[in-house]
Amino acid sequence: MLCPSCNCKNLPGDDVCKRCKQPLTPFNLPQPENQVERSLMYDQVKTLKQHVPVTLAHTANLGQAIALMLESNVGAILIVDDAGKLVGIFSERDLLKKIAGQTTTYAELPVTQFMTPRPESVSNTDTLNFVLQKMDAGGYRHVPVLDDGRPVGIISARDMLRFMTRLCRDA
Amino acid sequence: MDLTRHLKTETVSRLYPTQPWIVQPTQPVADAVKLMREKKVGCVLVCEQRKILGIFTERDLLRRVLSPGKSLDTPMSECMTSDPVTVHPKDSIGSAIKRMQKGGYRHLPVVIDDRPVGILSVKRIVHYLVEHFPVMVYNLPPNERFIHPQRESA
Repeated sequence: MLCPSCNCKNLPGDDVCKRCKQPLTPFNLPQPENQVERSLMYDQVKTLKQHVPVTLAHTANLGQAIALMLESNVGAILIVDDAGKLVGIFSERDLLKKIAGQTTTYAELPVTQFMTPRPESVSNTDTLNFVLQKMDAGGYRHVPVLDDGRPVGIISARDMLRFMTRLCRDA
Repeated sequence: MDLTRHLKTETVSRLYPTQPWIVQPTQPVADAVKLMREKKVGCVLVCEQRKILGIFTERDLLRRVLSPGKSLDTPMSECMTSDPVTVHPKDSIGSAIKRMQKGGYRHLPVVIDDRPVGILSVKRIVHYLVEHFPVMVYNLPPNERFIHPQRESA
């Protein structure tokens, strides 16, 4: 690759220019080739239309959690502590794995016993490829968006899909 | 590598839909729950003589079993979603995505003449998108705001 400052020819992947010692690492980042790739690389989480997160206090019981999931028609709810900080996520999967068929008197049990503690999260300034990678690698359907530990949004796999297909249609 | 074109031309079979797990309409819900937990899947298909009658997902478990307080001995036919929206292996990926989004489904049964051959999940499609942009997604530094000025270690 050509050094942008002295125009010296360097091997691709070199960290510094061999003649002028200018760092070349920023130029080794992938270059987006079309609109979808550009959006994935540079668009931040805040450009997505996010859902308002459905939250529940950590003191609530399972009956309340199930009622809230039904009422707000979501697949996952966020569990927050007294200061409003995220402590866990409770999803339909947790319900299937830890409750159905295991216990019959579950409604009074605390939700903290069954939630998934400390879920992976992103911030509003992370880029979209970062979110996509997290979702795919972890196999998550819901990734909470945090601001200083407090949930401000939630991105589902379907939101991501909708965003991508809309980009394709516009492109 | 034009995603728009690929979504139109590539078919569902190219995504290798996962194997469908099947229960009979007379079996109790507990069997389906056990199967879903064992096989680590989010949905099972309800079939009679290899023909698809319905689908049972985590959402159905919440909405039709746990919430009304039904017992897990209820037969599948009472708590499944009947006549689910399906795709054919020859359908394009784009049309499968459209069907998923229209109904807000996470799973689509892949069927040939009413006989289930696979399940297409929203996770699989997310993975397809990631595969489509390997350079953009896999080459990320662990913390995206930090680029190492020098090589690590030796």
